[in-house]
Amino acid sequence: MDKQVPKKLWIIIPIITFLAIVAFLVIEKANQSRSNLPTYGEVPDFAFKDSQGKQFGRDELLGKISIIDFFFTSCRGPCPVMSSNMAELYQAFSTSDQVQLVSISVDPEVDTPEVLNQYAEAHGVTDNRWRFLRADLAAVIKLSEKGFHLAAENLPSMHSTKFILVDENAEIRGYYSGTDEASMKILISDVRQLVKKIE
Amino acid sequence: MKGFRKYAFVTTAATYLLIFIGGLVRVSGAGLGCPDWPKCFGRWIPPTSVDQLPSDIDPSRFNFVLAWIEYFNRLCGMAVGLLILILAIWAVRKYRHYPKILWGSLLALVLVILEGIQGGVLIRMELEPLAVTVHTVLALIIVSILVYVTLNAYYIEKPPEKTSVYLKRTDIWIAIAWWVSVAQIFLGTQIRASIEIIAERYPLLSELEWLAKVGGTKHLHITLGFLLFGMTLYFGNNIIKKSKLPSSLAILGAWGMIILISAQIVVGLVLLFIGIPPLMQVFHLWLASLYIGLALMTYSAVRNTKGSEIG
Repeated sequence: MDKQVPKKLWIIIPIITFLAIVAFLVIEKANQSRSNLPTYGEVPDFAFKDSQGKQFGRDELLGKISIIDFFFTSCRGPCPVMSSNMAELYQAFSTSDQVQLVSISVDPEVDTPEVLNQYAEAHGVTDNRWRFLRADLAAVIKLSEKGFHLAAENLPSMHSTKFILVDENAEIRGYYSGTDEASMKILISDVRQLVKKIE
Repeated sequence: MKGFRKYAFVTTAATYLLIFIGGLVRVSGAGLGCPDWPKCFGRWIPPTSVDQLPSDIDPSRFNFVLAWIEYFNRLCGMAVGLLILILAIWAVRKYRHYPKILWGSLLALVLVILEGIQGGVLIRMELEPLAVTVHTVLALIIVSILVYVTLNAYYIEKPPEKTSVYLKRTDIWIAIAWWVSVAQIFLGTQIRASIEIIAERYPLLSELEWLAKVGGTKHLHITLGFLLFGMTLYFGNNIIKKSKLPSSLAILGAWGMIILISAQIVVGLVLLFIGIPPLMQVFHLWLASLYIGLALMTYSAVRNTKGSEIG
């Protein structure tokens, strides 16, 4: 009886090599398809204030990955889900100060700095990684429509439910449904790609 | 019988290839490449551009490459399903007096249909870790049944003679190795699930940092891995060197298992020290699935050819 490695077994070497090459290419292609985030234009200049009264504009977006949404504190529609998703993102990115969340109120009359601060506290915000902004309604509408290409008619109730991903150069890189669990996973993975690039 | 045996072997090989492709879908992150099932973005053939998406689906979820990777997996799943359907029809028409072949083929058919439907549930559950584990385990059960059917077809063609002399308890050692490897696959899926949960909580940490946060399961998996390596060398050596007139199938299985477990240790260490590279993840599970198939084959070969025992 031949007790050497049976010849039949050597056939697995070319098979495994072939599978490894194909798998490597597929994985590379998949990774590329994820990291090639499109660019939807630059965020224009704007001058808003956060709930602490500090200036917040385009310059504050530079050098960081930002996730931006429009909301209002007394909203009973999609906002609670959006804000709870934002709160989850806030927790998820707690290991890095390179990612910031920005929620812009579309109801500045009701959402005074005090109201915004209370809202922040209720969502577990303890640092500057999640900022709440307000400005004149006209300026908010302008930023939403001209800056982010999102409809802003019949505010406050008809604001967009998209989360906007903005890179470290204040370029818009993606829009995600702010109420959809699966979209959140894609957003997280896209943020991970962008953070890896600036590190 | 030769035709049927060869066909059963091809079906088994195709199923192994499908398990590999399934693993590839997983690590390339294409599991939700098509967010719906059985259609892909509401179409039988995936869309090629964002304009073709149905209005109720968030366009950010569309990725051309990922959609086609997932779609290819579904096509291959269909193809394997058809292969098994033909196998079952063949078994019913020609081998209905061989219960092992008949019932094995029919069971494989039922399970492969279930596997397809469960794949749909998996997508609806957005790749919930337990559902992914069920998908993997079902695939392993199906391929094991196919190995069993192929073996029995082989035995009908070449009835085994009980002339081999193996060391005592060789078959028991192989059976233990099979159980340990099944446990290892389960532990491995648990580790993968933990990494996913950790990654969701800390998406910005590196792969090595995620791995460092995985608890005791990881250490148990590594320890059992080395134990399995030692065990395989032990009974493999017994079959290859110390037995008398061992069956050629047992020799083939023993060598195959030794090669697989050695490769598996190397792949495992790469995963551990180089930060779980996706390519290695695919091979880790796939080599394990080949190992359990070979263990089944070797066990059966030793049992069926054992005339007496020594030592």
